[in-house]
Amino acid sequence: MNPIGDIINGTTNGLAEVWTNKVRSLLSMSGIILGVAALVAMVGIVQGMLTNMRASFEMSGGILRLEVVPRDAPESQRHIAGISPGMTWRDIGAIQKAIPLAAFVTAEVDMRWESFIVGGRREFAFLRGVSPDFIDIYQRELEYGRFISDTDIANKSPVIVISSRVRDAFFRDEVNAVGQQIRIRNQIYTVIGQFAHMEAMVGGRNSLRWQNRMNYIPATTAMARYKGGDEVDKIEIMARRVDDLPDLIEQVSNTLTQTHRGIQDFEIRTQEEQLQEMRKLENSFTYSLGGIAAISLLVGGIGIMNVMLASVSERIREIGVRKAIGARSYDIFIQFLSEAVVISVLGGLIGLVASVGLLSLARDFIPDGESIQTVPVNAMFYGFAFSTTIGLLSGIYPALRAARLDPIDALRYE
Amino acid sequence: MNQAEEIFALSGIRRTYQVGNEYVHALDGVDLTIHDREFIAVIGTSGSGKSTLMHTLGFMDSPTGGEMIFEGRDVSSISRAERARLRASRIGFVFQAFNLLPRLTVMDNVTLPLVYSRNKVKDKTARALKALQRVGMEHRSTHTPNQLSGGERQRVAIARALINEPRLILADEPTGNLDSKNRGKIMDLFTSLLDEGITLAVVTHDDEVAEYAERRIRMQDGKIIEDTAGGAKQ
Repeated sequence: MNPIGDIINGTTNGLAEVWTNKVRSLLSMSGIILGVAALVAMVGIVQGMLTNMRASFEMSGGILRLEVVPRDAPESQRHIAGISPGMTWRDIGAIQKAIPLAAFVTAEVDMRWESFIVGGRREFAFLRGVSPDFIDIYQRELEYGRFISDTDIANKSPVIVISSRVRDAFFRDEVNAVGQQIRIRNQIYTVIGQFAHMEAMVGGRNSLRWQNRMNYIPATTAMARYKGGDEVDKIEIMARRVDDLPDLIEQVSNTLTQTHRGIQDFEIRTQEEQLQEMRKLENSFTYSLGGIAAISLLVGGIGIMNVMLASVSERIREIGVRKAIGARSYDIFIQFLSEAVVISVLGGLIGLVASVGLLSLARDFIPDGESIQTVPVNAMFYGFAFSTTIGLLSGIYPALRAARLDPIDALRYE
Repeated sequence: MNQAEEIFALSGIRRTYQVGNEYVHALDGVDLTIHDREFIAVIGTSGSGKSTLMHTLGFMDSPTGGEMIFEGRDVSSISRAERARLRASRIGFVFQAFNLLPRLTVMDNVTLPLVYSRNKVKDKTARALKALQRVGMEHRSTHTPNQLSGGERQRVAIARALINEPRLILADEPTGNLDSKNRGKIMDLFTSLLDEGITLAVVTHDDEVAEYAERRIRMQDGKIIEDTAGGAKQ
């Protein structure tokens, strides 16, 4: 027995057989071709979507970002909750001073929906007060100007960094809006910076569309003009490394417990939950697409088996002749099995080529198509391996039937 | 004359088929010895068991009873794979309907047994050409069988039977599909093979074909009822 010789022989004969029956072979391949093309194209498209989703997650600080928000003190502390000053600007200072693991810290004072007036025109837009570190956590890009500085914080300067939406609403004619003035609640703010437009398409929508509507002023200015105290709505902290997170969380908790005089009226949130959600979505995509692809490849395999069974009954006499001149059952088995494998491998290869075409089309037609890879190597490898296995499995039964034929009966067959 | 070497020695060979609840005795106690370089014609009506005898001698089938010795070895109940090996290396088949594979060229048809015999032949084409020369068909090696006449096809089939240098060639009605002119040519070709150390057994119901053979075996109801050599030897 010579397995390598048998494989080479089988492949050559299989190719010859496919070539002799071109139309039939192509038809029997069609299931596998479509299955592989669909599998690879769908995985490619979904991978592109997930890449964008991850990108937008990373752009909001990713897993390294912690959020501290106020909450009601626990039942046991409720009667003395009044001794806590609440979440204040002093917490920011305490964290910056006491916790070196905190790479960036920003306060957030939320004014929500404000009316912006420029030269008699009025537009509503979101307004928030933040610290200079904000831009590092969110990795925002400025098209023009600068972000809020420590001096702005210290001086409670009336300055504003505007969103692409506000720029479009008021300053469409100027390229650079820095230096312009905006009236908000009878206060004049000077534009010091202007954000670049951000985009990360997920399912045809820009998942960063809210960022393009947010306008920022110094947190201290916001507190002085809107809140009249030093309370902040949220604190955001960014760690340097994932490994630092457990320690950072503990240290933030300890520091705030101290500044809040032991009252647990704050909550530290991690992005773990959001990450879990994202992973769940990835998995559900993978499994549902995998299921569809598996079914279509299974159908392709049944198609191959059908054609192979027809081919065996058509060639019963040939099988008899081959056995009479010395072919063993094993030789006949290998002959028909390799034919099935050749059909599925060729089908798989054509499917891969088709998938590249499909993905190029998808890039042009799907709104967020730019992130779609035309050659998703992993998906291609799995699609090809799967189709070959299907071909092998679907060839076994017809090949066994051929191999088991009695030579005398087969020779008599008309 | 020296006693020629024995190729086959069959004694009490039976081949019984079960059809429903009945048993059919296709071979019903056959005693037969075949010697080197014999030319045997097996004759009989259809259903006499001559085809079953050929299948048994050609290792296409195993007897259900009796003893069968081939080249000094008991082959009464050998495995299917072993039978296939013997078919590939020791036996050449020639059929009434030629049974060439229609999609292969003459050359590929003739080399096909080399694939299955696993003979380590260096130049398969040269060997096939030699076999084709032997039957006078070397000029047709690139043709496909349907481009050949019946007589030519049978010559190619004989070349295919010769390629593995078999001990015994079994032919089942080899001239059944041929006209009388080609019949003579094919039988002359068979006769000439005897000089090369090949033993021949031809199944036929054509008395003219049987005339070529030096020994005639007549079968009826699964038994040998006449053997021209039998009388002389016993």
